[in-house]
Amino acid sequence: MREAFRQELKDLKVEVLSIGRAVTGVTRDAVTSLVEGDVDLAEKVIAGDAEIDRRTLQVEEHAIEVTATQFPVARDLRLLHSLTYIALHLERMADLGVNIARAAKRTADRRGPQTLYDLIQAQGNLVYRVLDATCEALEKNDLELARKLQDLDEPIDHLYKQFFRELARLQDEEDIEWASSMVLASRYLERIADNAVDIGERIAYLVTGEFDALHDSDEETG
Amino acid sequence: MSYRSTPVPDDALEKITVKGLDFFYGDFHALTDITVGIKEKAVTAFIGPSGCGKSTFLRCFNRMNDLIPGARAEGRITLDGQDIYAAGVDPVDLRRRIGMIFQQPNPFPMSIYDNVAFGPRLQGVKKADLDKIVQTSLERANLWKETKDILGRNGLALSGGQQQRLCIARVLAVEPEVMLMDEPCSAIDPTSVQKIEDLMAELKDRITIVIVTHNMQQAARVSDFTAFFLQEMAGEPAVLVEYDRTANIFTSPKDRRTEDYITGRFG
Repeated sequence: MREAFRQELKDLKVEVLSIGRAVTGVTRDAVTSLVEGDVDLAEKVIAGDAEIDRRTLQVEEHAIEVTATQFPVARDLRLLHSLTYIALHLERMADLGVNIARAAKRTADRRGPQTLYDLIQAQGNLVYRVLDATCEALEKNDLELARKLQDLDEPIDHLYKQFFRELARLQDEEDIEWASSMVLASRYLERIADNAVDIGERIAYLVTGEFDALHDSDEETG
Repeated sequence: MSYRSTPVPDDALEKITVKGLDFFYGDFHALTDITVGIKEKAVTAFIGPSGCGKSTFLRCFNRMNDLIPGARAEGRITLDGQDIYAAGVDPVDLRRRIGMIFQQPNPFPMSIYDNVAFGPRLQGVKKADLDKIVQTSLERANLWKETKDILGRNGLALSGGQQQRLCIARVLAVEPEVMLMDEPCSAIDPTSVQKIEDLMAELKDRITIVIVTHNMQQAARVSDFTAFFLQEMAGEPAVLVEYDRTANIFTSPKDRRTEDYITGRFG
């Protein structure tokens, strides 16, 4: 009985990891669709969101069921609880990816200054690095890596600020709707990374059992 | 209802203090070097695998083990700072201050009224005061409504769960400061278990409760503090592995052995 329960926990973690990798893919596709003006790819990202929503909801349902029937405690409890939260973060991150894809659709018929595309791509590359590290930290229960996510997130915030400075240099004739879509996309990327940092805190709690791990960050998340 | 509506403060007084306790049954060394403080007006649960000495330890608190030939305790146990093993301590008086509830309900073969009045009568309480004590004790044991019209009926005629509450009323009638409960819910039905757990939450406003339970969910539900005991090797004495607030034990135990036991990895 306990063995079956333990296997269920393992399966649930594998599923959350798999969703995590899917979200990384969503983020990559979303950024690519924006930078390359690829409307088809943007549509694919938007269409794929329902499946991520379904899977994250299923994780939550499963976690509630296991909690109700198996009385998990200690590390089992922390794992279940953390996986539920992590799934919730992943679902939000996928939504942010969809927002980027929508921005890609809005801006696809208009080409702005290349510097801004380069900046978005650079920011995207840093976000992929954070997402890959997040999945690895979860997979290996790697406390050190989980705590490093905050550091990895910092340059992303800097790029977001730099994005604003570049925008200020735009000439009057630049399309304001295009510009605001790009700013929003940069903001969405920054928030995806913030959610990853929150996941890192969940992993730290999962590993250490210290609830303080959850209150380290004062970053705004969403 | 919420069991933890009033969390026990960190600076709550220790009702029972145990320092460096070793316990022996003849040549068998059952417990070693137990040091723990039982907080006043709180519920403390003792958990651990069968044979880990938790009941033995519980019975040290009211010197029930004195009745076993060859049993002896070394170390110090104090109740409100006074050594309960000191010369001159009357075990009978001690057991009035520290009442006990057993796994099998054990009402005396007499009326419900007489069961509850038994202790106070021995203490010389006047007949005129007994009615009030019986009623209050049965009320506090949440048994009054069910028994007020059948007080003359034999206690053994009650259901198992009612019998256990009758035993609790019998203990409460002598106004104990501490109630020891040795697997009090093992032999009764789930509805009665619920009633006794609710009762514990109510009683802890007035008395200190220590419960030995095999049911970890029960320990998690009813107690403020949990102590985990373990005999690591057959023939070796058991140790107190970890003692902490129950919420900590069941979310983030510090000792790997506690974690492995409560998550069902052994035991």
